[in-house]
Amino acid sequence: MTKKINKRDIGKLLTQWNQEFAIFVPSKEGDTTKMTSWDGKDVSFLDWYRNTVIPPKASFFPPLEEMFHFQKNKGSYDLELPASDGQKKLIFGIRPCDAKALAILDMIFKDAYEDPYYLSKRENTVLVGLGCTNPYDSCFCTSLGSNPSDSANVDIMLTDIGDQFLMEAITDKGKSLIANTSGLDDATEADEARAKEAQETSYRKVTKRVDTKDIEERLLSCFEDQDYWEKVTAKCISCGICTFLCPTCYCFDINDELVKRQGVRFRSWDSCALPIYTKMPMENPREEKWQRVRQKVCHKYEFYPMNFDVIACTGCGRCIRQCPVNWDITQILASLPVKV
Amino acid sequence: MEQRLRTEAKTLLEQDKVDYIIGFEPGILKFTTTPLITKDKDDIDRLVINSFIANNLANFLTELKGRVGIVAKGCDSRSIVSLIQDNKVAREDVVILGVPCPGIIDLSKVEKLVGKDRDELDDIAREGDKVVITTDGKRNEFSITEALFDNCLGCELPTPQEYDILLGEPTSPVAEIAASQTQIARLKEMTPQERWEFWKNEFSRCIRCYACRNVCPACFCQRCFVEETEPQWALPVPKWQDNLLFQVVRNIHVAGRCTDCGECERACPVNIPLRSLTKEMYDIVSDLFQFKAGMDKDAPPLMTHYEQEEAEDLVR
Repeated sequence: MTKKINKRDIGKLLTQWNQEFAIFVPSKEGDTTKMTSWDGKDVSFLDWYRNTVIPPKASFFPPLEEMFHFQKNKGSYDLELPASDGQKKLIFGIRPCDAKALAILDMIFKDAYEDPYYLSKRENTVLVGLGCTNPYDSCFCTSLGSNPSDSANVDIMLTDIGDQFLMEAITDKGKSLIANTSGLDDATEADEARAKEAQETSYRKVTKRVDTKDIEERLLSCFEDQDYWEKVTAKCISCGICTFLCPTCYCFDINDELVKRQGVRFRSWDSCALPIYTKMPMENPREEKWQRVRQKVCHKYEFYPMNFDVIACTGCGRCIRQCPVNWDITQILASLPVKV
Repeated sequence: MEQRLRTEAKTLLEQDKVDYIIGFEPGILKFTTTPLITKDKDDIDRLVINSFIANNLANFLTELKGRVGIVAKGCDSRSIVSLIQDNKVAREDVVILGVPCPGIIDLSKVEKLVGKDRDELDDIAREGDKVVITTDGKRNEFSITEALFDNCLGCELPTPQEYDILLGEPTSPVAEIAASQTQIARLKEMTPQERWEFWKNEFSRCIRCYACRNVCPACFCQRCFVEETEPQWALPVPKWQDNLLFQVVRNIHVAGRCTDCGECERACPVNIPLRSLTKEMYDIVSDLFQFKAGMDKDAPPLMTHYEQEEAEDLVR
């Protein structure tokens, strides 16, 4: 069931979907870009959008989230869960790397413990993917089993074919949504051929590479090589940018705000790059900077694959683009001193 | 300048005058550089000096043990001097490789000038008081003042005053003071209510990554107040009120130490105009105390020093 839609009709399409869903689209606040609630008219993101600075994981696992309110009541506490809005959501324009990142996050958030905060939002959301036509020079998704047109982790996939988008339903959720959407044309064979060509062109535009062959073994073999890690992490400033903006990083901290007898329990993004990480329950086992950076690299390329059989990096390149000192994970992966 | 730097840096390492060299090497992405921190003289040929050496390398001095040869622009040299004033760095442990700096190019401004992202540009070249941005094979010329960082436009000391080796001829300030203050002037025109709303909005974006603090040479506390739990001065979560409080207190802590190098604003991944706060504090310090950070290594640090005549209007 492949359809197409004129780009100038995207506003109408979103208006139609808006009756059933809260719509989230790429938006700009100054120079910062993220997915925010659609205002009902602006589709100018179609002109500037490459990818957002804040990853779409923030829609499911926000930087700051109220877990519950509490009130001291004699010797006990009354708890009140935040009201669930129950609203169905649709994220329009998520990139393949970020959709894959959500699939990776799903694994941890429904592992031994099922996280209701994340999962309730996730289950309630339709993902409409938009293939990249202009990947950044920091993108390396093609080295991680994905590509700029990868439709594997979305419900509906859009491909730019000039004045139109080709629209493919990928999941049952996507199929039923498209079946209930009016104003779509059937795609022709020529449209599909154009889409294929566009996808091949985008694929070739991703030029940055990492070699993931035997990566777990390679990282393991140099785990203890302090000289190497110290040298390649000397310029790291131990801030949280690369982890906070990583679409697959999921560490969080929990804090209470207590004023008089009532308060709120929050969870907020935390980062293994910060020296204060895990100081609350005990000490940070990774006191030195090189140990913390090593943790970040190994978690993505060694530990996560050991646990879930997938590398927890999708090659979105945010950690490279946004780093204040231009640290580059691909350089690290390429320079590991492998001992055979 | 670059060749001279490599020669001097290699000599320093070979003659065992320093343990480390801190400089810049080309970054992987276009038009970027990245700090090079090394003990190895084979790395030295990677050192560069160009219009993109944005980082303030003084930040690394407090974490390295040993003697360090460090590449320093005017503002960076002031940060080094300020660290010496605060006893965080011993003068004899640093060899300052001074770079007369005509200003650093702000890629965000360049992107706005030509309406393209940095990775879509062919070239950015400085030609005297012009910047030439080549896109799709076409040259676009602009005044350099349209492409430099705001703090460079207001730079008071482009050539380091404290150095061991000066790598080039002294250069004069770009001196577009007004242009360096556009954002601050806009803020000053607002009513207090409007300004409050402005900052509330800006700080709502903060994700508490602490890049502003960690990239700042003047933020050298072993443990930041914001991480204290007893008492808890601010919540360690990104609520806008706590974000604002964190930044205001940080600003007070770096008063008299901030050299207006602009690193905090550059590092911010969500583009909060932090320099509007730090520069305003810089000017207040300058007016109230006739003090500019990092100008005199023998002067006592502003906030640890007290003169009786200060009391009249300050302590009430």
